[in-house]
Amino acid sequence: MTGARPSTAPGTSSGGRSATDERLIGRLLIAVTYVAVGLLSVGVVLMIVDGISPLGGGPRLDIATVGAHLLAREPAAFLWLGLMAVIAAPIGRVIVAAVAFARDADWLMVGIALGILAVIAIGVGSTVTVTV
Amino acid sequence: MLVGLLMLAAGAAAGAFGSLLGLGGGVLIVPLLTLGFGLPLREAVGVSLICVIMTSSAAAGVYLERHVANLRLGMTLELFTAFGALVGGSIAFLLSDQLLSFLFAALLLYVAATMARGRGAELDIESDPDPHAVMVPEPAARQTALDRLSGDAYRIHSLGLGVIGATGAGIGSALLGIGGGVIKVPLMHLAMGVPLRVATATSNMMIGITAAVSALIYIIHGGIDPYVAGPTAIGVFLGATAGSRLGDRVDLRYLRLLFVVVLVVTALQMLLRVVA
Repeated sequence: MTGARPSTAPGTSSGGRSATDERLIGRLLIAVTYVAVGLLSVGVVLMIVDGISPLGGGPRLDIATVGAHLLAREPAAFLWLGLMAVIAAPIGRVIVAAVAFARDADWLMVGIALGILAVIAIGVGSTVTVTV
Repeated sequence: MLVGLLMLAAGAAAGAFGSLLGLGGGVLIVPLLTLGFGLPLREAVGVSLICVIMTSSAAAGVYLERHVANLRLGMTLELFTAFGALVGGSIAFLLSDQLLSFLFAALLLYVAATMARGRGAELDIESDPDPHAVMVPEPAARQTALDRLSGDAYRIHSLGLGVIGATGAGIGSALLGIGGGVIKVPLMHLAMGVPLRVATATSNMMIGITAAVSALIYIIHGGIDPYVAGPTAIGVFLGATAGSRLGDRVDLRYLRLLFVVVLVVTALQMLLRVVA
């Protein structure tokens, strides 16, 4: 996708499509980052309005209750959603890249992308197992 | 309330300095939160990971739009930085605060020495074409995996070294809350033959996944406090944005000198924590 397609010249067929894919991935990263900044900003404003000190210790992430806490306008819920959006941005980039590589039948890169996602899944799975 | 605003301001200062000097925020955020606000080192590392993902995603988005970053090479090395981050994130909760503080102090001294020499730390994205760059064959002739990871105007080599370095960068990132650019950029540029501007952009792109792996591990362990991470991350984002716009108007020679002093003093304070 980075001008390294073996059989196509840049600007034509899948070479041009690769450039478009990179632009799309770049825009996705920027858009999700701004969404995260928005959510975190709302959380910080609510935190300040509620007079919460950061040094008092915040709640741990509880995915099951984030929705209800968002409706209750609790600052921690907005902050957690913003933090998850921050983390989701690069992971989303890998997923979109994997789809683009699959469309170009570049199976080596698809495998690498899936490998990255597998490492993330193993990291989450093994940590949950250890901490529960 | 005041502490939240102070954290936002501290994050903004770290983001602005980091952006002006071409450093990731982690080198600054961790000492700020530990020495300035009294947070445990591991909690500061978790917050720092969030901040480096944020700045990395925004910058990497621009680099990808402009086709500066090498997505294929970046993703290949990411597989190994992610693995390193998985290992580092897992052992971070087994290491003592003293050992982590010592490692962080060593990192600060390394960065200070690099900056004092006037190279490496300030990574100019618009630098001249790289002398290590080698012209690659026409696209139709690119057959090997290395060729396919190379760019239009350069051919990479020593992928094995890159894999080892990327794994080490991932471990360092997870343990110390840094982006790992201090390892990845010289590695890609000097050892693998990637032009400096491409190495910088590709390293920046890789930071997101590397830090995301360890950030998820930190969150599950309860190592990230949303009330600390929120204001700090917003501050870093605003500071980095401002810093990127102020770059042309600031004399970086004096700023770099000041920064070397700050890094050395901070490293000594971290070492004092170890002794204490």
